[in-house]
Amino acid sequence: MTEAVTAHEITIRRVLDAPRERVWRAWTRPDQLAAWWGPSGWSTPPRNVAVDLRPGGTLRITSVADEDGAEMTSVGTFTEVLEPERLSFEEASEDNWHDGATSTITFGDLGDGRTEMVLRSTIHTTDEMIVHAEAGMSGSVDRLVELLA
Amino acid sequence: MATDPLSATFAALADPTRRAILARLADGEASVNELAEPFPITVQAVSKHLKVLERAGLIARGRSAQLRPSRIQGAALEQAADWLAGYRAVWEHRFDRLEDHLRRIDGGTET
Repeated sequence: MTEAVTAHEITIRRVLDAPRERVWRAWTRPDQLAAWWGPSGWSTPPRNVAVDLRPGGTLRITSVADEDGAEMTSVGTFTEVLEPERLSFEEASEDNWHDGATSTITFGDLGDGRTEMVLRSTIHTTDEMIVHAEAGMSGSVDRLVELLA
Repeated sequence: MATDPLSATFAALADPTRRAILARLADGEASVNELAEPFPITVQAVSKHLKVLERAGLIARGRSAQLRPSRIQGAALEQAADWLAGYRAVWEHRFDRLEDHLRRIDGGTET
């Protein structure tokens, strides 16, 4: 039996104080990706960044925790590379987090040296994941209300 | 303009009237008028609170124009507070770091 999959969408919009070409380079050059991709408290050596910038190519970034050297790897497959305005990629499912996600990032030239960057992600979940979420939910509202009272 | 991933949820929950509305809805769905009754505020004000709760995904409202009964969205609360927020948080955080990075290389130190 095929499990039903639900799609959820998120959109994040940012206006960056940098020209579009510079934003594109920040997204596509290993040394620049290494400088910003990982969370704070983690470092990403440039050698840990692999960017095969073409449709079907892989983006692979491994960040290392400053504290204990733990590693965390992000992997995506580019589905569209349209310099300097659009980048799309897919992420495979991982650890019950989701059942696959597709993202498109558009870079809009605002004409004044700034760039509007918009991320649109569609994240797929299975019904099973939702059931688990709901099972953990009973009483949560009351607890939250109590907590915040 | 960095946005905390849970800010919509927590902003919605930060207000005592909205928490009271949520607590009432935990007992079952209710119309705007029913929800407004125990509060010394106008139906219009309650309606505004409901909009905030709805935007945060904490409640859903019926589509009938007259009553639009509100009900609590347990799954939405869990999702908003859990994996979807987590996914969004990862990106918001990444974008914060990208903004910092672009500021750092602004002085022409880009390699």
